[in-house]
Amino acid sequence: MTQAQHRIPSPDSTAAWHDRASLATLRDLYRAGKLAAEYGSVRALLSRMPRADLPAAGQLLARLDLEEVRRHVPDAPVVSVPVTGESTVAPVVGPLTAELARHGLLLDAKVAPYGSYLQDLMRPAGTAQDADLMLCVLDAHTVLGDLTVPWRAEDVEDAARARLALISSAVRAHQQAGRGLLVLNTVPLHRHVTHQLVDLRCRARLGAVWREFNSGLLSLAAEHPGVVVVDLDPLIGEGVPAGEPRAAQYARARLSEPLLAAYAREAAHIVRARLGRTRKVLVLDLDGTLWGGVLGEDGPGGIELGAGLRGEAFVEFQRVIRQLASQGVLLAVSSKNDADAVSQALRTHPAMVLREHDFVHVNANWKAKHDNLRDIAERLGLGLDSFVFADDSLFECGLVGEQLPEVAVVRVDDEPALHPGALLADGWFDLFELTEADLERADRYRTEARRQEFREDVDSYQAYLDGLGLEVTLRPPDESELARVSQLTLRTNQFHLATERLDVPQVADRMAHPGSYVIAVHARDRFGDHGLVGVLFLRRDGEVLRIDNFALSCRVFARGIESACVAAVLEFARDTMAKAVASRYLPSPRNAAFAAFYADQGFTPVGTDPDDPDAVFFRHDLRDIAPAPAHLRLHATFGPDDGDRT
Amino acid sequence: MTTALAGTAEFRTLLEEELGLYLEEEDLDRPLDDFPDWDSVLLLRLVTVVEGVVGGRIPVADLLQVRTFRQMHQVVTDR
Repeated sequence: MTQAQHRIPSPDSTAAWHDRASLATLRDLYRAGKLAAEYGSVRALLSRMPRADLPAAGQLLARLDLEEVRRHVPDAPVVSVPVTGESTVAPVVGPLTAELARHGLLLDAKVAPYGSYLQDLMRPAGTAQDADLMLCVLDAHTVLGDLTVPWRAEDVEDAARARLALISSAVRAHQQAGRGLLVLNTVPLHRHVTHQLVDLRCRARLGAVWREFNSGLLSLAAEHPGVVVVDLDPLIGEGVPAGEPRAAQYARARLSEPLLAAYAREAAHIVRARLGRTRKVLVLDLDGTLWGGVLGEDGPGGIELGAGLRGEAFVEFQRVIRQLASQGVLLAVSSKNDADAVSQALRTHPAMVLREHDFVHVNANWKAKHDNLRDIAERLGLGLDSFVFADDSLFECGLVGEQLPEVAVVRVDDEPALHPGALLADGWFDLFELTEADLERADRYRTEARRQEFREDVDSYQAYLDGLGLEVTLRPPDESELARVSQLTLRTNQFHLATERLDVPQVADRMAHPGSYVIAVHARDRFGDHGLVGVLFLRRDGEVLRIDNFALSCRVFARGIESACVAAVLEFARDTMAKAVASRYLPSPRNAAFAAFYADQGFTPVGTDPDDPDAVFFRHDLRDIAPAPAHLRLHATFGPDDGDRT
Repeated sequence: MTTALAGTAEFRTLLEEELGLYLEEEDLDRPLDDFPDWDSVLLLRLVTVVEGVVGGRIPVADLLQVRTFRQMHQVVTDR
């Protein structure tokens, strides 16, 4: 392709990635009665469906019988979501079904009756099955519902204050009852409300009062770790109408359909974060993605970056990426280019924002991109389902999407000013709370590369382990470490022996429970500090000490840390007069490699779950405890022995 | 009126493709109460879809008061 061709904008370039035929295909399946049976293909269909078509797709998907769908896709996780709110909230179910299906998740929605959100929030715990999260959809009527004509800005202020106080106490009740994650939203202010005040000063006052209410709602997220507040303003700012007067008037559906669709996209990413499916790695193409032009043809001095209008747009895009990287997103490159030219451009180009050291791997070569993505995943020790891939080439995007369906593909087009919007259109990297581990992640992976070099230098794996100088510390986490402990349970998929996802309040609850221990695992070696890499959940049950769950970051596998942890627990059990240690392996789609872990550590299988023969219970009688591996130093503190052994 | 929805067959196709609601021709005269899946949420969706197809406004309040799908078809085509 010549440069001139490369730079000719084509208005249809995104349309070509988004396939308008996807909805027709889905409809054909539905009409033929085959949509449930073919549910396995739905995710791929939705991945390239134009965003505007998703509500229509969701409408059909939501009508399928969930049990029938589950028979056809038994591995797809089902997300249980009660939906409550101020007004008619059922219209969110269709879009949410589609948005979750894009992530391979099935929705089991329970829609509350009109206007019942306060009762729903304050209902005592334990009355219903534990839900993954609850959506509480608020709108302008939440503030205006009790107003009588005539009203002034002061009346709205009073109403807003009273309503905020009511909602705050309902949210507190919901959180104190331990009913899990709650999703609220800010409420839009409509023009047909503001302009009922003709006094411009009062109208401004109304605007200020309204923002105070929304600000109060947003503050609930700071107050309660189990509350997320979706700000609708940025969604409306994208050009989405906030409401539709006839739907509001006649059906009391007070948020517009497109706004609910945008909200559903945000909600789906909250669900992803809750299920530990936050993406961790962003793999970028170079030519046309990070800069304009073709490096191989134009040379490092000739690429579009920095100078010129488009050059500035590419710089801006690189800044956005750097912003993501500063929050723990790992960056890598997969580019069809000569490695030396890429290295030179990244090192020497004066306008380059992202430098060589910002990337954990730069794969510049002529191999297929899906092979490069596999290679990067293997070297990072991460699954491809934690990858996002961005490229301007329709061909490369299509091929990666086809070869690696678990990778999220972001197609940027030939207008660099639109690159940031395309990358951020989905909240692929959304998480609940940044932890120190996120901020230090890139450094850790670079240290890991030095470890790998050392490993290649020594003769044997044992010599490598002996030379590492590994130090493992087990102790209860302090307050500041609870977020990281929660995150480990949320994000660890492989070495996660009972896969129990806990938010921060749930972790705190376990720590406070008598006879229950939460033990954080820290590791460091001569190359650096791994930080908090694992967690054990223990519980006294009479004379038995139970390991309810054990999760360890994949960064530190196969160094004896997992064995050291078990050795420490066994010794602790013996020292505190327990008769045995019981443990369990509960299978998940990703932890099969560790099904035999406890057996390898000297435990005896004692039974399986009648409902799930792959779930195995183990027992160790403490007679013969293998010592921790000799190549590491182990420090273990379990806190006070407050177990009730009577 | 555009021809896109002129006939009841087109209307039934639209109900099926957009709302996932399959109807035979004779179902058009049955009372809406016979269709437990039918609700105001589907009706709102129908308004959006039909207005997109015909490119104009349909009287929502009238639509909310119809008793059968045939009457619904008449409301959306009788403009």
